[in-house]
Amino acid sequence: MLLQLRNIFKWVQQGGQRVFLLKDINLEVQEGEFISIMGPSGSGKSTLLNVIGMLDTFDEGEYDFLSESVHTLKEKYRSNLYKEYIGFVFQSYHLLDDLTVEENLEMPLLYKNIKGSERKALVADMLDRFNIVGKKDLFPAQLSGGQQQLVGVARALIGKPKLILADEPTGNLNSQQSEEIMQLFKKLNEEEGVTIIQVTHSEKNAEYGSRIINLLDGRKI
Amino acid sequence: MFHNNLKIAWRSLKTNRMFSGINILGLSLGLAITIVLFLFISYERSFDKEYEHKEEIFRVLVQTDESYGKEILCTAPAAVAPAIKTDIPSVKKAARILKHGFGETAFVKVGNTNFLEKELYWCDPELFEIFNIKILEGRSYKELERPNTVALSQSTAKRYFGSEDPIGKTILVDNEDQLEVVGIFPDFASNSSISFNAIGSFSSTFAFKEPSWGNSSFETYVQLDPGASIATTELQMQSVLDKNVDKAGQWFSLTLQPLENVHLFSAGYVNSYSKHIGDISEIRNLTFLALLILLIACVNYMNLMTAKSQKRTKDVGINKTLGASSKSLVIRFYAETGLVTLISLFIGIGISALLLPAFNTITGMELEMSLLFRLEMLTGLVVFWLTTTLVAGSYPAFYLSKSSPNAALNPGSKGGKGVINLRKGLVVLQFAASVVLIVSVTVIYQQLEFMQQQKLGYEPENTIAVTTGGIRGTSIKQTLVKEFKSLSMVSDVAMAQGFPGISVSGRTLFKNENDENGTQISTNHSDAQVIELLKLNLLAGKTLPLVKQEGDTLVEVVLNKKAIEYLGYSPEEAVGKKVLIGGFGEKARIMGVVDNFNYESLHRPIGAYAFHNRRSEAKSFVLLRVKSADLTDTMHQLKSTFESVITDAAFEYVFLDKNMERLYAQEHKTALMGLIFCVLAIFVACLGLFGLAAFTAEQRKKEIGVRKVLGASVLGITQMLSKDFLKLVLVAVTIAFPMAYWLMTNWLHDFAYRVTIGWTVFALAGILALFIALVTVSFQAISAARANPVKSLRTE
Repeated sequence: MLLQLRNIFKWVQQGGQRVFLLKDINLEVQEGEFISIMGPSGSGKSTLLNVIGMLDTFDEGEYDFLSESVHTLKEKYRSNLYKEYIGFVFQSYHLLDDLTVEENLEMPLLYKNIKGSERKALVADMLDRFNIVGKKDLFPAQLSGGQQQLVGVARALIGKPKLILADEPTGNLNSQQSEEIMQLFKKLNEEEGVTIIQVTHSEKNAEYGSRIINLLDGRKI
Repeated sequence: MFHNNLKIAWRSLKTNRMFSGINILGLSLGLAITIVLFLFISYERSFDKEYEHKEEIFRVLVQTDESYGKEILCTAPAAVAPAIKTDIPSVKKAARILKHGFGETAFVKVGNTNFLEKELYWCDPELFEIFNIKILEGRSYKELERPNTVALSQSTAKRYFGSEDPIGKTILVDNEDQLEVVGIFPDFASNSSISFNAIGSFSSTFAFKEPSWGNSSFETYVQLDPGASIATTELQMQSVLDKNVDKAGQWFSLTLQPLENVHLFSAGYVNSYSKHIGDISEIRNLTFLALLILLIACVNYMNLMTAKSQKRTKDVGINKTLGASSKSLVIRFYAETGLVTLISLFIGIGISALLLPAFNTITGMELEMSLLFRLEMLTGLVVFWLTTTLVAGSYPAFYLSKSSPNAALNPGSKGGKGVINLRKGLVVLQFAASVVLIVSVTVIYQQLEFMQQQKLGYEPENTIAVTTGGIRGTSIKQTLVKEFKSLSMVSDVAMAQGFPGISVSGRTLFKNENDENGTQISTNHSDAQVIELLKLNLLAGKTLPLVKQEGDTLVEVVLNKKAIEYLGYSPEEAVGKKVLIGGFGEKARIMGVVDNFNYESLHRPIGAYAFHNRRSEAKSFVLLRVKSADLTDTMHQLKSTFESVITDAAFEYVFLDKNMERLYAQEHKTALMGLIFCVLAIFVACLGLFGLAAFTAEQRKKEIGVRKVLGASVLGITQMLSKDFLKLVLVAVTIAFPMAYWLMTNWLHDFAYRVTIGWTVFALAGILALFIALVTVSFQAISAARANPVKSLRTE
């Protein structure tokens, strides 16, 4: 088992009342799964994804990741954990504007303290695999949305994560670009056994996954 | 990783060209000022540090009692040095220094050539031992024990004798004293408090055989045994004084001043022989100001860095999801700041090299950039660089790197309100400081103007004082006066001991025989014509008698109003009365009374003053009032007249009004420095405001877009954006006014005659600050208001 959430609650105080963002969420994810989280706006999809990605905290409940209990870990270990095992893909790509494609790909490796020669090899591999060798010296602003998201996915993959968390990865893309990214996810999941959890609005994209989780008002239905 | 940090920093500098430019400019200016002042301060602190026995050397100070104005004199009576050396065992060596002719220029004749020598001193030869002055040529400084000997500095010997060997040759001083050159010493360093061109043997002077306890004109240096207690020595000096002068006649006490304090801690002391006198309070003020400007520049940097914080917080968020720790981001931001400060430092060094000549002109110093490349200075620069980096980088580094990745990536989240308030606070501080500076500089200028327009009580314009100190014989001086009188452009001629603007002899004026304290009176031995020449206002009586017979012992005086007020007379009553002035022998008769006039700088209140005809002092100046036509031609004619009469002295003169200006040189310097600081501080503060305006414009980009879509005009939006900043400036002004008022009231306190601080100054400063702020802010506001709303709304 890759991760397990037990009775997760998250709330904010508003006018003396608790407003629940997540309510009693229980979830088990096995390695190799491809899960889609769906639900209307404000149902807590992104919050859940951020909790899983350890970018956000929760107020109650337990969370085990690879049999480490995340809720008891200190910030530093938690960031080591996600640095090691999780890759993020965002709706608005979130590439670093001041860095070239190649340097964007290199960034996670730098934070993992991987040696220069090895970094170069890994980046070259990834550029090759995603067919973006010709674009390696361009800056994000010089790429189309689809190409930027391709770089985003490549960057998420370069640290060889066990889990990829994607928050509406195709939200800013046209249908053809969406199709390509989703195909890519499917291939990664099937051929390399990468676990993927995506948040999506689109029924069509959700179909790529093996399991769908529906949220409404912070609760699983 | 480090390389990578630099690369990112460089790229972000390049992409935000305008911001980087402003940032670097602000920091460079701050650093440039700091570097210049750093040079200045380290030069000022380097005084007298080279002398081997510097810890053991002290200067004897004379503290006068109330009747002599409670002053501290740097010169002591001639009897002090020999007495304390004999009687106090811990005083190892003692040497007296007497400036030639009590401070007058010496006329030196070598062969047939005349020289003016401003730095001829008569010294005890032990001075050479105390200060370890080497003899380069000649046998020994001991030769200076003989009367009529002199030692010359290397450059002076070259000036007098060219390539000839000067040893054994003679020079003629003031056409009177033949001095044999017995030695050559190296030129004094520019950072030495004592500095001589020529050292004549003290045994040649009148004071050598019968040193008196009365005439306090001898700068006296002593060398104590290592480890001797200063307090004990001072007590022993008091008992030496008691032994030689009875209690009633003691108008002073003696103290010791360590050599290391001589340069910086002698401000306000009287009679110092040093060419440069530093002032520790000036150094403290300048250090404070320089640090303030540097701090303002650092604050700017923070403001401008965080102005781009939306993009930066996003970057931080992304980096954190990619695994960056807070620590690595702190390092990254510091790397960026370090790069900016390093570039600024180099530009700052460049700017300071450009500023230095101006600084030298203002302060009259001779600082060089090469001073910067000494080891301790370079170390200092590195420390500067690191400190600036730490201070300026602290805010972006710690504030930005702390934000959580989720908050950073979530576009809905906003920066903390506390942070925005802090930034506003900093801008208020900057502007308050600028307003204080504007007010201060205005008041300083008003005071200077005031002093220049103040009714002096006499007319210094077109009045020239020609030095005749070196000329022997009355008849030749009379001839000179006659010749001057015959010139058509000269309206008045008078000989006098001194003139307003330089000090004359201090004596004591008594009400009667029973008056124990008396009051200090300045006495000026002068011709009758001096009253008319200076255009003094004669209130009663007449001037001194035109001719005074040889052997006539009766002394006549013309007193100023202050003096007769002390005596308790009205001007009319005073005429014909006899008055007791210490040292005049018998009572002097009051011939006339003149209105008060400012014979000293306006720092001091007017005291009692007397023109007299007692032959106790030489009349060292010929005063001339000329018709103000063509001054160059006039001076030319005066010179040739002088030279036709006097063959053995050089023509030296001052204009009385120029001489008065010299008295306010310090204020001029302060005002100019203040002005420069003021302009720079305002400029840097504007950069800060500009940064904050840019920041807000970016923060409210969307709001502006929505408002425009809803129909707001460019003017309306500009007003909306500017209003907030004007509020900040108003707050700053409110804080600044009382501070400036307090500061300037304190400063003006030093002047006996001063302006009152009017509301116009504050109004002017306030309007100026508001105007500058408005211009700065509206630049940003207008460009934000004019932006196409579709662009700002689309990005979301």
